[in-house]
Amino acid sequence: MYSDYFWAALFLLPNLLGFLVFILLPLIASFGLSFTSWDLLTPIKWIGLGNYKTLISDQVFWKVLWNTIYFTIGNVPVGIILSLFLAITLNQKIKGITIFRAVYFLPVISSTVAVAIVWQWLYNPQFGLLNYLLSLVGIDGPNWLSSTTWAMPAVIITSIWRGLGFNMVLFLAGLQGIPETYYDAAKIDGANWWALFKNITVPLLSPTTFFVVVISIINSFQVFDLIYVMTAGGPARSTSVLVHYLYQNAFQYFKMGYASAIGYVLFFLVFTVILIQLKRTKNWVVY
Amino acid sequence: MKKQLIFLILVIFSLLVFNTMIMAEQVTLQFMGWEASPLETESVKQGLEQFMKENLDIKVEYTPVAGEYAAKLLTMIAGNAAPDVFFIASDSYRSFQERGVLLNLTEYFNKEMDIDEFIPLSQDKMLIDGEIYGISSCDVSPVLFYNKSIFDEAGLPYPPSDPEKAWTWDKFLDVAKQLTVEKNGKTVQYGVSGFEISWVSAFCAMVKSNDGRVFNEDYTELLLDSTEAKEALVKIKNLQAVYGVSPLVIADVQQGGISATQMLQTGRLAMLVDGSWTLQQLAQMDFPFGIGVLPKFKKPVTIGQAHLYSAWAKTKHPDEAWELIKFLSSRGYQTKLVREGLWLPNRMDMYEEENLANWMNPDVYPDNFRDMVKYFTNYAELWPAVKVPSEAWSIVNEELGNFFVTDQSIDTVISSMKRRVDPILNK
Repeated sequence: MYSDYFWAALFLLPNLLGFLVFILLPLIASFGLSFTSWDLLTPIKWIGLGNYKTLISDQVFWKVLWNTIYFTIGNVPVGIILSLFLAITLNQKIKGITIFRAVYFLPVISSTVAVAIVWQWLYNPQFGLLNYLLSLVGIDGPNWLSSTTWAMPAVIITSIWRGLGFNMVLFLAGLQGIPETYYDAAKIDGANWWALFKNITVPLLSPTTFFVVVISIINSFQVFDLIYVMTAGGPARSTSVLVHYLYQNAFQYFKMGYASAIGYVLFFLVFTVILIQLKRTKNWVVY
Repeated sequence: MKKQLIFLILVIFSLLVFNTMIMAEQVTLQFMGWEASPLETESVKQGLEQFMKENLDIKVEYTPVAGEYAAKLLTMIAGNAAPDVFFIASDSYRSFQERGVLLNLTEYFNKEMDIDEFIPLSQDKMLIDGEIYGISSCDVSPVLFYNKSIFDEAGLPYPPSDPEKAWTWDKFLDVAKQLTVEKNGKTVQYGVSGFEISWVSAFCAMVKSNDGRVFNEDYTELLLDSTEAKEALVKIKNLQAVYGVSPLVIADVQQGGISATQMLQTGRLAMLVDGSWTLQQLAQMDFPFGIGVLPKFKKPVTIGQAHLYSAWAKTKHPDEAWELIKFLSSRGYQTKLVREGLWLPNRMDMYEEENLANWMNPDVYPDNFRDMVKYFTNYAELWPAVKVPSEAWSIVNEELGNFFVTDQSIDTVISSMKRRVDPILNK
């Protein structure tokens, strides 16, 4: 009676509708809004490139842009290297291995707010565990979250800790997709662990690595919740990132147009970075 | 048998008809607010029940909002689906009014209330060009809390609660120094904390106390660049930066894990500058604490504010909305929360000697609070944030954060603040 296409469309409809109404439409609308001045209540005013011009001369924008890049540079490489190391360590057939994997995955499924509050405790300069441990080895720990120098590293450490498990699971899946036979053959030829890692693991894991890099970069550029709860962008904006500034403009200052412009700057930034990554895949990703 | 059945059916039917008749006459009001504490939740619930009992023709449907209240209200108004009556924070009241979305309550107000019933800062808060769009809920002000045991041990007199006997800054600093204890190079007990907490805004009181101003008369210019204002700010910073009598807490981050009140309770802090609402929490913490006035430079000053109740300009039931607003802002309704120490009264007569007993609950208010009541009626000025756009106020706090936690000089910070804030004020 109906064609297969009809049924396919029908079953896709719930998802498709949600995508259209809650993602695609707002996406297009906010692009339009980025050329306007609007506070939701008074009539929309078209101001052309006004918002983008303001952005260029807005010192706070440059500061939060730099903070976003700082966060990404701190978060992505270290997070990936650590989770790869973890995945290799946990990719063994020993008793209770699933327990270890579960433990490292736990932060991923914990609520960000809970994570942020626990880490606030750990970072407490006077009563926190971290400064206590540092004092045992004779280091006078900094005022982590109240210092403009240390607040960002502190947030990055928490973020790495939180993301570790997710990347680890991806890497584990990738590692288990590498046939054992390659390692066996190389071992017969007398390869040591470094040679095995460099010549078999790294190239054969590269599609996974690529995926992890892309996802991590996107997530880092879009970081918000952790920062919102841990530092609210402070002290003195030292941890305020693009999405935080966007949120402030939209929902605290009610500058929807300006916030949309920030959103689109973020979009093009991430888009460019990913595009560069895609271009470069030929050089290092082996399929 | 059959007769009985018919009778029963008739009864049920008539009940139904009667019921729908009542419902048809009943007006349903949508009411939105936030809940800062379980106590307020309970109080709103009980209050609404009482209101509906007194006004059988009005049914109130209450929606509490957790976080991002102004954004939610704004979206609902923009979507033409706003509640009839709602809480509005004192610092968003004017920006909503400017956009014409608040019902003008002046006529209702003039028929049943008198602006002079309210304490001066509440009047200042409510009046916009002589008109009223929201009624004050209560008042809250920064004050000085202290741990009595620490003062007893050190043999020092308690901070005064009579504003006319307020400590000078030098006297205050001297006490704070004596109450700061170091052990092995680490401070284990601080003299004071809290002047730099942004939402308490005690710095405004100190600037005004030194004859400075935060903004000019018509709020078109930042005046923190005056010598008086800068002097007050530098002295606040020096508590931490020079004398080490105050811990480095930053405006917008709680001292992770341990709150300032817990520090006060456990003897790690002798004096705490915080909002008067903290009284409610301290009263339940079971340790000897006292309450006093802030120190002064040239004259004793505190600041004050608190949310208002407003109605949507497009409400279909303005009369009923006014009834609800009148009820919520009444002496009776606020007394419950005032008795718990969360709020302070907003009516002049409630501060009169013979009415103090109605709300000055001895389980909550320390004995010497009696000397302090004139602090809120005669020495309190409106929180400056109420009359400027939220973006301007957020810049003031951000730049002050720069000053308090980094080593940037006062001149650098204030000139950057002025460069950013003045254009917003002049828009």
